[in-house]
Amino acid sequence: MIEINNLVKRYGDKKAVNGISFTVNDDEVLGFLGPNGAGKSTTMNIITGYLSSTSGTVKVNGHDILEEPELAKKEIGYLPENPPLYTDMTVNEYLDFICDLKGVDKHKRRKQLEKIISMVKISEVTDRLIGNLSKGYKQRVGIAQALVGNPSILILDEPTVGLDPSQIIEIRKLIKSLSKSHSIIISSHILSEIQEIADRVVIINNGKIAAVDTLTDLSKRLSGQSKLLMSFRGPVKECSTKIRTLPGITSAVPRIVDSKYSQLELGIAGENSNEIRESIFFMMANSGWPILELRSLDPSLEEVFLNITSGKKRA
Amino acid sequence: MYAIFKREFLSYFRSPVGYVAIAIFSFLSGFIFFSQFSGGSVNIASEVISLTSFFVVIVPIITMGLLAEDKKRGTDILYYTTPVSLFNVVVGKVLAAFALFAVMFINVIIHIIVTLSCGGKFGVGAVGTIIVFFFMAFMFITIGLFASAITDNQIVSAIVSFIIILITQLITVISDYVGTAVTSVATVLHVKSATATAIGNAIRKGIAWLDPFVKTQDFRLGIFSVSSLVFLISVGFLFMYLTFRVLEKKRWSQS
Repeated sequence: MIEINNLVKRYGDKKAVNGISFTVNDDEVLGFLGPNGAGKSTTMNIITGYLSSTSGTVKVNGHDILEEPELAKKEIGYLPENPPLYTDMTVNEYLDFICDLKGVDKHKRRKQLEKIISMVKISEVTDRLIGNLSKGYKQRVGIAQALVGNPSILILDEPTVGLDPSQIIEIRKLIKSLSKSHSIIISSHILSEIQEIADRVVIINNGKIAAVDTLTDLSKRLSGQSKLLMSFRGPVKECSTKIRTLPGITSAVPRIVDSKYSQLELGIAGENSNEIRESIFFMMANSGWPILELRSLDPSLEEVFLNITSGKKRA
Repeated sequence: MYAIFKREFLSYFRSPVGYVAIAIFSFLSGFIFFSQFSGGSVNIASEVISLTSFFVVIVPIITMGLLAEDKKRGTDILYYTTPVSLFNVVVGKVLAAFALFAVMFINVIIHIIVTLSCGGKFGVGAVGTIIVFFFMAFMFITIGLFASAITDNQIVSAIVSFIIILITQLITVISDYVGTAVTSVATVLHVKSATATAIGNAIRKGIAWLDPFVKTQDFRLGIFSVSSLVFLISVGFLFMYLTFRVLEKKRWSQS
């Protein structure tokens, strides 16, 4: 369990982290969301003891990171944004070194490493130099490094950045399997990624918490503002005025205007978007404007922020 | 501490650095020994003293990557986020560099064996210079480590430690210049000439007192002065402490 209380980190005049408080419960996956530069990495660096906070406290399983750093650090496995890998060592040598650093008992070491290596699936590269591994393998070695010493808490800073789609899926699976026995904080600036893994999300922006929510609540908040993107052949102006008259359509913003190919971004209200899609189809067919594509737009993180912050103002 | 020592020491042999340092040292010691040997009279003490004056080249090569490379690679994060203490990191790194010196010193041991087997002498003076060699190596390693802590660029680190070590070799010369300069400034300011000379001399002596080479030059005569060894060790500890503070400070950085 991690308790974070009123964390502030000041860089000169700028507050990178400004009064953040939240807790992570045991065996929970907490998604830590925010755009680049929101203070995610800074917060994680403070939790792990890499940076000191200007004020505020971090308690890891009851141990304050500043007052009892060694006890607190034993509980944490950390994968920073850039995995701390020695490129001149083989995977085995490197993990052995990490065991030394974390003070893992010599007798238990072999067994623990075998377990970790099979869990993150790097057994075929253990004798290769880390510098020669692909990015996906490097990331796995980074995760293996975090798992050494059996920490109860894992902190993963953008673990899927720079990986290809199949690697991303595998890393996600791995994190899911780890979540059964670990509390995990995972940061990302991609909403859909967090949606798949996390039980709860903390959204931060400009160093402040914008929302702390379970995922179901978050998606409820978002459901009110889904969007469709429609590509078609026909006059944009006429179409947008006509389409706005349909029930359930709140807005129609032209994206591409061309004689042969046009795009409209449609805001839709209400739960049942299928009915709206049907009525769009018939309206377009009657007018003789063929639809080339119709698809839903996932809300971007920025829109989530806007929605959350504006929602708060209304309430 | 052992973990850091082991990694750092072995990493000298994973990259060319360790081999380059050993090659340079072997060449220098071999060349000095050969020129003495071919002249028919070997003096181990003067060989070791000559080698000590080459620290200015060898130490920066050995120490430049110790912390700078960690920072560049981002692996220094391990020192802060694992239960290992920063103090142990500093000590482990110093020991690793020191161990490399011990490995390089095998050259001299071979020379000693050759000398003795050819009926040469290995006197108490030579023992003295070897003691000085290792104490001085320790001191300069800590200076190099400090230079490596203040930057993430190995070249910068090497240049900084090169300059600092060069200054320690030239301290007596520098003290002469500074002393003379102070005397002439005092004369210009209408201080009595006797007083001006006295001030100049005092400053010259004060600066020259720091010279580690002059301090330890009696060792080759078999006169071991504990106080000069204490001086070398103290400077070493000072720079270890400064390195520790630099690492510690990073955590609190405001920029």
